[in-house]
Amino acid sequence: MAFNLTGSRSLLSPDRAFRAIALTAAVVTAATLAIIFVVLVLGSIPALTATALPEFIAANAGPIFGTVATAIIAIAVAGPIGILAAVYLVEFAPKRLAIVLTFVVELIAAIPSVVFGLWALNDLSIRLRDSVEWWVASSIGKFIPFFSEDSGNPAADSVFRAGFLVGIMIIPLVVSLSREIIRAVPISLREGYIGMGATRWETIRQVVLPTARVGIIGALMLALGRALGETIAVTMVIGGSNDVPGSIFQPGSTIATRIATTLPEASEDVKSVLIALGVILFFVSLGLSLAMRLAARQTAKITASVK
Amino acid sequence: MTTARTHEMLESGSSRDSRRRVWDRFMRYTALAATIAAIAPLIALIYFVTTRAIPWLDAALFVNNPLDKPSGISNAIFGSLQLTTAAIIAVAPIGILAAIYLNEYASQRLVSWSELVIDVMLGVPSIVVGMFAFMVIVPQLGVSAGSGVVAIGILMLPIVIRTTQEVLRLVPASVREASLALGVPVWKTVTFVVCRTAFSGILTAVILAYSRGLGETAPLLLTVRGTFAQNWFDFGTTMNAMPLTIYSYSGAADSRTIGQAWAAALILMVMALALNIIVRARTVNSRVA
Amino acid sequence: MGSEETTKRATKGTTSRLTGSDGADSAAPDTRPASTYALELNNVEAFYGTFRAVAGVSLKIAPKSVTAFIGPSGCGKSTLLRVLNRMHETLPGTSVKGETLLDGVDLYGPKVDPVRARRLVGMVFQKPNPFPTMSIYENVISGLRLAGVRSKSELEGVAETSLRKAALWDEVKDKLHQPGTSLSGGQQQRLCIARTIAVKPEIVLMDEPCSALDPVATLKVEELVRELAVDYTIVIVTHNMQQASRVSNTTAFFSMNEQRAGYLVEMDATNKIFTNPKEQLTSDYVAGRFG
Repeated sequence: MAFNLTGSRSLLSPDRAFRAIALTAAVVTAATLAIIFVVLVLGSIPALTATALPEFIAANAGPIFGTVATAIIAIAVAGPIGILAAVYLVEFAPKRLAIVLTFVVELIAAIPSVVFGLWALNDLSIRLRDSVEWWVASSIGKFIPFFSEDSGNPAADSVFRAGFLVGIMIIPLVVSLSREIIRAVPISLREGYIGMGATRWETIRQVVLPTARVGIIGALMLALGRALGETIAVTMVIGGSNDVPGSIFQPGSTIATRIATTLPEASEDVKSVLIALGVILFFVSLGLSLAMRLAARQTAKITASVK
Repeated sequence: MTTARTHEMLESGSSRDSRRRVWDRFMRYTALAATIAAIAPLIALIYFVTTRAIPWLDAALFVNNPLDKPSGISNAIFGSLQLTTAAIIAVAPIGILAAIYLNEYASQRLVSWSELVIDVMLGVPSIVVGMFAFMVIVPQLGVSAGSGVVAIGILMLPIVIRTTQEVLRLVPASVREASLALGVPVWKTVTFVVCRTAFSGILTAVILAYSRGLGETAPLLLTVRGTFAQNWFDFGTTMNAMPLTIYSYSGAADSRTIGQAWAAALILMVMALALNIIVRARTVNSRVA
Repeated sequence: MGSEETTKRATKGTTSRLTGSDGADSAAPDTRPASTYALELNNVEAFYGTFRAVAGVSLKIAPKSVTAFIGPSGCGKSTLLRVLNRMHETLPGTSVKGETLLDGVDLYGPKVDPVRARRLVGMVFQKPNPFPTMSIYENVISGLRLAGVRSKSELEGVAETSLRKAALWDEVKDKLHQPGTSLSGGQQQRLCIARTIAVKPEIVLMDEPCSALDPVATLKVEELVRELAVDYTIVIVTHNMQQASRVSNTTAFFSMNEQRAGYLVEMDATNKIFTNPKEQLTSDYVAGRFG
């Protein structure tokens, strides 16, 4: 809310001074972002101009593949669970239980990722290995090498584990965003459908979720952006191999982990490559944030059209 | 005639409708299962970290440094506190003032643009911020606590701004109008009246940002790197931090070292959870379910 | 409803009762008298937790008539309406007492599935609420789809009939696949009416259906209500007394007692209520002396 009341007339009045100070703070913030932007883009130019894009991708296929693979696995884990949990919290849960459970879910987001990494290294990995990984590897894995595993010597770290862990870490984000979107669907729509003799789930599936669909996709995009940037937890469970792994149950790396582990000691050209990769990561997550804002605007339009 | 249909609809069962009822109940339980699945990792994690860490919580842990015998992580604990506190001291005023400008003085158009800018800042991956600090700050300030403070500060700034903005927005216009009508100058209205009303919310913003800063690892990896020595207030050289300790100790073979990684994880986790619970528990009551 | 359909319904009723789940009736002939009242309420009360919002209402509504519920705001008219289609219970902590009979059958009977009950009692809401992700056509047939109707020809047939009955067909027949929300407010409300009658409910409830509409749209909807009364039993809650006198055959006047519970003051033929009511309170309200 802006009050454009001019203070007293003198140039150095307290009003003017205060406003100037506050403005400076805002400008500093914007400038910080701008500087980051400029520095990163400039730093990446050497690497991006030295080789053509296809070769660049091929040379860095390992981290790029790892980034994409972990992100997909993360969304595959967090998407269904997060959305269904949001549905439960908004549509089915009794009010008090919903408040408590929502609170607990949001608390997960507060835990530092390095703690998640340490836990995953020692607990989650073992559980995953003995359950999901074994199951997938012995079924689909027998036919598709991509999902296979050397059963005599299963890898300690893998792309799959990293992806699963990141998935667990972004569930709270998916839940809280989806909750807001689902709650924004007007009650009148639900009542209209139930009034015609629909069950609760039918209303959710045929009225609520379709109305919320655009917004939820936006939420998933934002979560995807967050997943891409996850560094330390991934570093601890992905293994650090620079090549494209033959299977998701093998070690790999992501852009973020490469930067974190090799930047400090890197030579000049490697540095530039890493910066270029970082810039790509930045722009992708930027694009995803923007997509989310667009999606939110679309959902608002849909719910507003219910006159 | 109509009676017959009513009788049929209300008193006899239909297999199709009972199938719908069963499906409804099934999905209800599936959604509940998903919620439990969302929470289960938290429970497992808390349990695991706590049980692994407790055997190693002794006095030496908090007082000694890694090179002492018996070793401790004192420098990491206090290092984290120093780094984060320095960062919040530097960043909170900027953030709060910026939020004040955006909410009290800026035009609507500028506010829309700023939303975008803050969204972008919130979305920058922490490794990218670390990379930036490595490229620009480290050459200036060296591999030191100072660089680390800048890196964490950049990550904390948008949180302070966004949360403060939301809180300021909640202060009703009537409060401002009443103050101005009494002849209080604008700047005093904003600082003493509006901010006092929004005080607890602004405090929330600061605490949330602090909690985020405590847990950051990647930017510190690239700027501070950690050390075995204790460092009190010297921001010109390296400092240790809990996330760095956890990270570097995580692969150790020696059981005491690993144990300390768990202990550090427990301390960090308890701090982060405590701060967040305090902050959120205050707002839960005012939030409509 | 034509005689053909009526016979079909009667046979359908008997057959299913022979094969129905309540085996006790399977051999006995149907000796239940066909109820002469579409809706009969005996001492019906509605609660929000411990608060009694509607106190002891008893009334009878004749089939194929329009009954208006009038009265000042807050005296439970809408709550009572929502009792009639079992929507009141969708809010947590609510309860209902008394007997609600639809065609002589207890709507709240132990074997009754509320989902099925709602198909028999349709409702048109105050604010038009077409489903925004469905087209006009999909909106109209949404209730039928829920009831399990799959045949495309049947769906299209019923859609056209309902839209014609709702006086909307000519306006939308060329844009059936546009979103339901692309219509004007008045058209949206007629669309909601069309989808409500598409499932051929026994009773159509209307909760202040015109309050969100402009005067022109309001007149169209009122005209529609009078036309629909040929085929359906309608109960309409309205704040607008002129509207009540325009559209209804019977009017029920409600007021609030000292405990803020709504109760039925008087129910009679509409022209009687408005010209020569029995109760002083009624004539005061009708004359605009309060409310």
